[in-house]
Amino acid sequence: MTPTQPTRSGGFWAEAWRRYRRRPLALAALLFVGWLALVALFAPAIAGTKPVLCRYKGHLYAPCLAFFDRRLEPAVFARDRFRGTYPQNLKEKDPDSWAIWPLFFQDPYRAVRENEWPGRPANPARDEGHPSASHPFGTDQYGVDVLAKMVHGTTVALLVGFVSMGLAGTIGIIIGALGGYCGGWVDMVTSRFTEIVMCIPTLVLILALTAIIEKPSIWKTMAIIGATGWTGIARLTRGEFLRLRQSEFVMAARAAGAGPVRIMLRHILPNALAPILVPITFGIASAILTESALSFLGFGPPPPSASWGSLLNDARSNYSMWWLVVFPGLAIFLTVLSYNLIGEGLQEATDPRLREARK
Amino acid sequence: MIEQPAPPHLAPPSSRAPLLAIRNLVTAFHTPAGRIPAVDGVSLSIERGRTLGIVGESGCGKSVTAMSVLRLVASPGRIEAGEILFSSAGTTLDLATLPEPAMRSVRGGRIGMIFQEPMTSLNPVFTVGDQIAEAVLLHRRVSREAARARALEMLQLVRLADPQRRLDEYPHQLSGGMRQRVMIAMALACDPELVIADEPTTALDVTIQAQILELLSELRARLGMAIVLITHDLGVVAETCDDVAVMYAGRIVEQAPAAELFARPRHPYTIGLLAARPSPGMKHSGPLCTIPGMVPLPQHFPAGCRFHPRCAYARLPGAESGNGRAVPLPAGELPCNAGVPELHEVAPGHFVRCFHADSLGPPRSAQEIAAGGLFP
Repeated sequence: MTPTQPTRSGGFWAEAWRRYRRRPLALAALLFVGWLALVALFAPAIAGTKPVLCRYKGHLYAPCLAFFDRRLEPAVFARDRFRGTYPQNLKEKDPDSWAIWPLFFQDPYRAVRENEWPGRPANPARDEGHPSASHPFGTDQYGVDVLAKMVHGTTVALLVGFVSMGLAGTIGIIIGALGGYCGGWVDMVTSRFTEIVMCIPTLVLILALTAIIEKPSIWKTMAIIGATGWTGIARLTRGEFLRLRQSEFVMAARAAGAGPVRIMLRHILPNALAPILVPITFGIASAILTESALSFLGFGPPPPSASWGSLLNDARSNYSMWWLVVFPGLAIFLTVLSYNLIGEGLQEATDPRLREARK
Repeated sequence: MIEQPAPPHLAPPSSRAPLLAIRNLVTAFHTPAGRIPAVDGVSLSIERGRTLGIVGESGCGKSVTAMSVLRLVASPGRIEAGEILFSSAGTTLDLATLPEPAMRSVRGGRIGMIFQEPMTSLNPVFTVGDQIAEAVLLHRRVSREAARARALEMLQLVRLADPQRRLDEYPHQLSGGMRQRVMIAMALACDPELVIADEPTTALDVTIQAQILELLSELRARLGMAIVLITHDLGVVAETCDDVAVMYAGRIVEQAPAAELFARPRHPYTIGLLAARPSPGMKHSGPLCTIPGMVPLPQHFPAGCRFHPRCAYARLPGAESGNGRAVPLPAGELPCNAGVPELHEVAPGHFVRCFHADSLGPPRSAQEIAAGGLFP
């Protein structure tokens, strides 16, 4: 038998990962986003005013889950008139109770009152809330802790990226794949449609849609960003499908009896995925920016939800409170930068031409 | 599967119909520049268990003929006329008009295809085992495990070294020859009755070529399928084919059993092709014979016999052939540009498309032509 090149196990993605790992910045960016994901997931345990786990009147509860969804707050605490203030009420109403508290006792949605945590003063409000030992990133004009807000805002920042780009990716891949694979009039219709959507200034379209929507919520914002942000992905997908449709392995698959759906999903899509992932990653970055911009302009989700952009909005009316600009701004900047670095890393790890040039 | 007795389709006693019969196939491409008939009235038949070689220069329509059989001609190409009768399992299907879903079960299931470029014909993101198993799963109602077992069996059949390990390897980890073996395994995975091999060895180096051809011949003997081998290499044809069809400019110009064709070529084009080959018995050490000119573009096919402007024997009314050689037109014979010559039988099983096949002088073997030049 003929000799082969030294065999490396794993396929295309294993190879891409091997190359990606060699880029320290891209790797750091990936770790940063991974860390953000952990922060978002454990936000109620990191900063909050509700116990992570507590034992009350003989039962175990995890009231912190209320930060994800209000309905998850155990009804017993409402019945016993806790009014959201746990530390004192727990001790008063059940001396045998115990609780595991979040690392940082601050609430992202309201100012902590005096003696809410025994012996601690109320949060400073207005421009007195400079960053200090008890409030590392300061407090806003109503006395809400900025760090707690940012920790809980991580969820929004990450969700905006993933949900809106998940939606945009789905629309873009379907439209691009149909146009590129079918060709002819299908391509004509999808391409023109894509171009029409591209011609509309995205931010204006989003503002118009937000104005129409009755009850704004973070999910609707994500849907709007996704529904307008798929054009670049569609164009790239179309190009990839157009190229791969002519490839020999697709011809071989057809000669083996595979139908069009199977060829598109199983044979072309996995090969087109790497180049498509790159604009999706950049898209996540721009979706986060768009959401911040919307929140900054006051078109974001309504107050009960914390987002980094709405923190910036608060800073607009309080120029002297520099900490309302610096910390959320830095967080947005670092996150967007990370996604861009990840996108660039992916591009270089999967693009055969750049790969050769690097050698 | 390897030890199984000869498949039942090897010798059907009742039907005498050939496995595949192409009748007057016309496949044309409709481009902005006009209609381009890449295949123009091709008729061929392939018997069960035999190997047919289709030979010709690039652009003569041999690949388009093969693609037409599987109806894989890409748009703007279209089969415009003719029948492609495929007789299998007691029924005869016309592949030219068969609905697409039924066609899909023919592709890969009853007719396998091997492509020219083993480097790019395998999907880079799937393992070799996955791809062969997929070919099985497309046509057989079997479990994934059974399909994988079949893939392993096929890799053993094509004698790939260390098949168990190769099953989980990706195409980029294999050499060209190994990939072509995998392609053959894929094409044969569903026991097709016909395998179309489109220049299967062109992209491989010479030693590997020989191995692959030997493997194909051996598999044919063992599994009993028929093979259509498309090539421009007369040496490959001589070694592996039972029958040969020579194509020129979209038409078959000569068809004969391989031994007959090499011993007694009758069409001037075939004679020219054979003369252009270097051979050990050559008399002089001068330049090799060549056929002057180029294959005409389909838009510019000449009237009458399409080969006549390049033909050393061309007979035209003005006694002036395209290359300036004066050849008198014998009484009672048509000039070469007078109409399309029909494919007619000059010896049992030997068909030639030339008005003057009988007056070219006594048939000579390839060796004689190569040694002595075109004219005695």
